[in-house]
Amino acid sequence: MAINDRIFGVLMIVLAVAYGWGASQFPEPFGGSEAVGPDTFPRLLAVVLALSSLYMVVRPDPDNAWPWSRTGLELIIAVVVLVLYAMLLQPLGFILSTTLAVGTLCWRMGARPAKSYVAGAVAGVVVFLLFNFALDLSLPLGLLAFLEVS
Amino acid sequence: METMSFLIDGFGVALAPHNLMFALLGAFLGTLIGGLPGLGPANGVAILIPLAFSLGLAPETALIMLTAVYAGAMYGGRISSILLNIPGDEPAMMTCLDGYPMAQKGKAAEALAISAVASFMGSLIATVGLILLAPLLARFALTFGPAEYFALFLLAFATLGGITGKNPMKTVVAAAIGLMIATVGIDNTGVQRFTFEILELYEGVDFIIAIVGLFAVSELLFFIEERAGGGKAKMVVNKLKLSWKDIRDIMPSSIRGGVLGFIAGVLPGAGASLGSFISYTLEKRVLGRKGNFGEGDPRGVAAPEAGNNGASSGALVPMLTLGVPGSGTTAVLLALLISLNITPGPLMFTQNADIVWGVIAALLVGNFLLLVLNIPLVGIFVRLLSVPPMYLLPIVTMVAFVGIYSISNTTFDLYFMVAFGVAGYVFRKLEIPLVPIILGLLLGPEMEKNLGHALEISDGDWTVLWSSGLAIGLWTFAIVGLLLPTIVGPILRRRMRQQVGVAA
Repeated sequence: MAINDRIFGVLMIVLAVAYGWGASQFPEPFGGSEAVGPDTFPRLLAVVLALSSLYMVVRPDPDNAWPWSRTGLELIIAVVVLVLYAMLLQPLGFILSTTLAVGTLCWRMGARPAKSYVAGAVAGVVVFLLFNFALDLSLPLGLLAFLEVS
Repeated sequence: METMSFLIDGFGVALAPHNLMFALLGAFLGTLIGGLPGLGPANGVAILIPLAFSLGLAPETALIMLTAVYAGAMYGGRISSILLNIPGDEPAMMTCLDGYPMAQKGKAAEALAISAVASFMGSLIATVGLILLAPLLARFALTFGPAEYFALFLLAFATLGGITGKNPMKTVVAAAIGLMIATVGIDNTGVQRFTFEILELYEGVDFIIAIVGLFAVSELLFFIEERAGGGKAKMVVNKLKLSWKDIRDIMPSSIRGGVLGFIAGVLPGAGASLGSFISYTLEKRVLGRKGNFGEGDPRGVAAPEAGNNGASSGALVPMLTLGVPGSGTTAVLLALLISLNITPGPLMFTQNADIVWGVIAALLVGNFLLLVLNIPLVGIFVRLLSVPPMYLLPIVTMVAFVGIYSISNTTFDLYFMVAFGVAGYVFRKLEIPLVPIILGLLLGPEMEKNLGHALEISDGDWTVLWSSGLAIGLWTFAIVGLLLPTIVGPILRRRMRQQVGVAA
């Protein structure tokens, strides 16, 4: 089966067309159109991408298996953890969110839960101290703001 | 002689105490990064760039530190090759052939020390080559016009897959995607392109975010999929017993390897993997029956190590003189230069001479530091590298988060990085190479500018792009570089695998 490359190729052709169309909609630069405008290079790229993607559709490589079932779920969990990490970094503060994120990732990668969260907490505190005191870059304290000594 | 005085100034920069300190730090981190499973040099340098930024380091200091990381990563790749027969990165593959048998015979420490000495020789030779060749090439590059530059950029993309690359069409797809991302933002005529009225996109996509996402985050996802969290077998190192005679014995191999590696590094599309491969093969040819290659011959460790370090320093030549990187890691170093507002290329040698020569001197100093650092500290490195990936990768990911966050203090960049990570995972699954995407992001603006200039001069006549002899030559090379791997690649890959297969 070689369906991956075909699907990706089709998606890229769609992207190329949309991108090329988008480029043709640019407003004309001040002073009228010239030999080269803001759309020249994008148009060229759209053509190149469309042709090379077409090749992928016509002559696809054999597929690599996608991880379905459990491993796939683990991957989704990891991505969700990363998104939540980004989301909670400011409200929860660096130390707490790092403990949760690194801990969960370690745990899901096979470490024992208790050890994982301890590793996360240690990493969070060490990096926080390093950044705030040694490197003079402030990371958010969030919920732990009451600890601030200033 | 001009070169000499520049170089002396360069040493003045590189040996300044704080620069030396950062070089030492970089060399140490680099060795660790190179040795860690799955964290290649490109990855490591990428993760450290945001930190170099947010620390507000002076340009030359940042560059010196990351050059040391780069050199260190090449050193680190060999540790697991020798001790576990698992190459830390692709160029370290050939080191397994004789390094692992040596370790099995209880000579692991000797193998590591020999590879350190050989790496040092390789880098030293290549750095001398760099000092001699770079100014010449830079002067030659001054004759390039916009059309030639445009062709040169194409050449860089075409040869990026390297001689061992697989499907050249996928390189083209990747390059186009990278270049497209580079067009997002407000262009130099003030027109908004593909910003979708999102404020954060007005200044374009920050390539550092893209690099860290594509490399580091996708690596985490790959590790999860492979369930390789448990880590490697325990590594043991014996006590070092190395005499001067042993070192003298490997010198000829190291020198040959270093020279070959340098040549492979400078040539577009060859790179460090090929450097170590040809050095090893040549060594086998030259010594023939006199050596017991594949069974733990020290010269079989020295040659490929000198080769791959020579190549990695050699790869800096096109990056510094033409602004065109030949490998993933040099592409990441280019990203650093661009974000420090230094335009690489021939002009850099005149406008930022202190930086260029500081970096070159830093390479020499860094390699010396690495040699000093590596022989006594190898035990510490081995211990640190035994930390299982299930702890290590989450922490590396966290460092990437902190780095990106500290650039702008916004979470928008973090979401972007995660998105790039997921995209990187999908691309890797589809065997679409990531490096051309990065290169597209980096070179996009320059490429468009040169295309624009060329067409303006010719008043819209596209044939200007292949009207000079030099441009035609570059185009020819680009086409050959793109198509040759489809013919030679499979043969070469099979050869490399055969060699490794025989030894295993």
